[in-house]
Amino acid sequence: MSLPLSIPLRVKMFGLLLLALGLISFLISLGVGSFSISWQTLGSLLIQQDPSIERSVVMELRLPRALSAMVVGGQLALAGCLMQALLRNPLADPYVLGVSGGASVAALLAIMFGLGGFWVSGSALLGALLNMLVVFGLVQRSGRWSSGRLLLTGIVIASGWGAMVSFLIAISDGAGLKGMLFWLMGDFSHSGYPGWNSAWLGLGLLLSMAAARPLNILVRGELQARALGVNPQPLQISLYLLTSLLTASAVTQAGSIGFLGLVVPHLVRIVIGSDHRWLLPCSVIAGAVLLLLADTLARTLIAPQQLPVGVITALLGVPLFLILLNRDNRGSL
Amino acid sequence: MGPVIPLSLCAYIQFALILAVLSAFQPTIAKAEIQVVDDMRTTLTLAVPAQRIISLAPHLTELLFSAGAGDKVVGVVSYSDYPAAATRIPIIGSYERFDLEQILALKPDLIVGWKSGNPQAALAQIKQLGIPIYLTEPRNFADIASNLERIGTLAGTSTVSNAAAATFRQEIAQLQIRYQDSPKVTVFYQVWKEPLMTFNGDHLFNQILQVCGGRNLFVDLPRLASPIDLEAVLKADPEVLIVGESNRDWLSDWRRWSSLKAVKKARLHALNQDVLVRPTLRIIEGVRQVCAVLQPQ
Repeated sequence: MSLPLSIPLRVKMFGLLLLALGLISFLISLGVGSFSISWQTLGSLLIQQDPSIERSVVMELRLPRALSAMVVGGQLALAGCLMQALLRNPLADPYVLGVSGGASVAALLAIMFGLGGFWVSGSALLGALLNMLVVFGLVQRSGRWSSGRLLLTGIVIASGWGAMVSFLIAISDGAGLKGMLFWLMGDFSHSGYPGWNSAWLGLGLLLSMAAARPLNILVRGELQARALGVNPQPLQISLYLLTSLLTASAVTQAGSIGFLGLVVPHLVRIVIGSDHRWLLPCSVIAGAVLLLLADTLARTLIAPQQLPVGVITALLGVPLFLILLNRDNRGSL
Repeated sequence: MGPVIPLSLCAYIQFALILAVLSAFQPTIAKAEIQVVDDMRTTLTLAVPAQRIISLAPHLTELLFSAGAGDKVVGVVSYSDYPAAATRIPIIGSYERFDLEQILALKPDLIVGWKSGNPQAALAQIKQLGIPIYLTEPRNFADIASNLERIGTLAGTSTVSNAAAATFRQEIAQLQIRYQDSPKVTVFYQVWKEPLMTFNGDHLFNQILQVCGGRNLFVDLPRLASPIDLEAVLKADPEVLIVGESNRDWLSDWRRWSSLKAVKKARLHALNQDVLVRPTLRIIEGVRQVCAVLQPQ
């Protein structure tokens, strides 16, 4: 990985702003909820070991949830960035090649058979991996790997999964149906500590940062990439596997949270341009902050009721995106 | 040997009896009209008692059987699992989605529907097809009893249904008296786990709680069964926690919150949910179960 010596001022400013925002949202997410916990007690709760219910609420409910939201946000934003570069299509999001579709079908089947918790996320992971292999196998078999063929294959398979999701919903009823819809909209209320998922996010970021320069070339087109000495195919294949695994891990934790993976990369591009060396890390942080904020709002806005986090992500993201798009035309779009 | 009555005389007496019975019923059949007002305040008029009835909800199937009209039910929805005889009746779909063509094919002369559970559009279609439809929305014990009587009237089995309704009212009244001075206990009923859901104050379950001295902590939620924040439940700190029998394993999730009153005093219970949430005569059993759990002494 070639770490450049000079970070552009605009990127520095944006990065600092994001980090500050992230820290504030993190503290807010630990501090607010049905149990009112003052800032002083919050500090002592985090340090001391005495088992009070306030401490359990913070350590066993709010903290895992906040960390999980940040990791998933980062994963989706990173996967979105990579997918847009891989497919050279601004409309691409982490779900476009059917990863979330495969995961959804498997998860809904698990819910339908009355399974919960671990089984649902486990099936989701299997479904996502199955989709990854099917799409990869089909494109590979055709003998000619191209982003166009990949996109078409993925979209068609994603539509197939979509139909199966509708079918499963149509034949279900009662509370199971409610659980299915919640899963489809994305929900953090049962996520534990992100664990190995955060390691996977870190590894994904490192790997993709290492490929940042070739990525900058790849987005100009396969012909140009070849002319500039970048062999697109291995890069495309590894990008495909990386985004699929990132998305699978995100979907496994919280269901399919829409919108974030599509818009965060564009949002960051509008502010700092489309150099992947900066775009990738900034997108990860921006995705993490946005999803953390959205989830905190989702669980507190109309407490004790819960809103699906996907709704808030869109409510926050759409105006933010439109404002930035109209104020500044330096972006790539 | 005692006197032997000739066979022909026997036959004659029987014939005369049948005639007498028939003529006794003659005037009511001639009067013809059966009029009943349903829970939507719509007046329903039948020329003769219904003979081919379709039930659009599991609890309505139960009520039909309790009203003595079980043998007239020709179609039910899925989960109509009580009484056992109901499971042998053809299924026309689920309460949320049923097959109108199959309903027509069964040639019903009465459909018993569930206002808040069945899809509005399908109910409207049934009305348009001209099939008499009786809509119910039982929310308390009185509604259950009066629905039972009205269903009996429609099916021409009011002797059975009126007696059943009277017994039901009496049993409820006895339970109400028995538990009227019980201390108040706060209760959380877990409807579902992912997402965590509970009943609001409009649900029938609150009627059971009222009898047993229980208090639902979340009466203000907007829908009958609403998703709720786990933190809010921990904060409310219920004294008793109830889940459905088939979800007994959910209780172990609560045990890790060792400072909850319900966990400290080991008042986590799994009860048969069918008798807790279905507005049928079996709710008596539900009241007994809940009262036993809330007022153990």
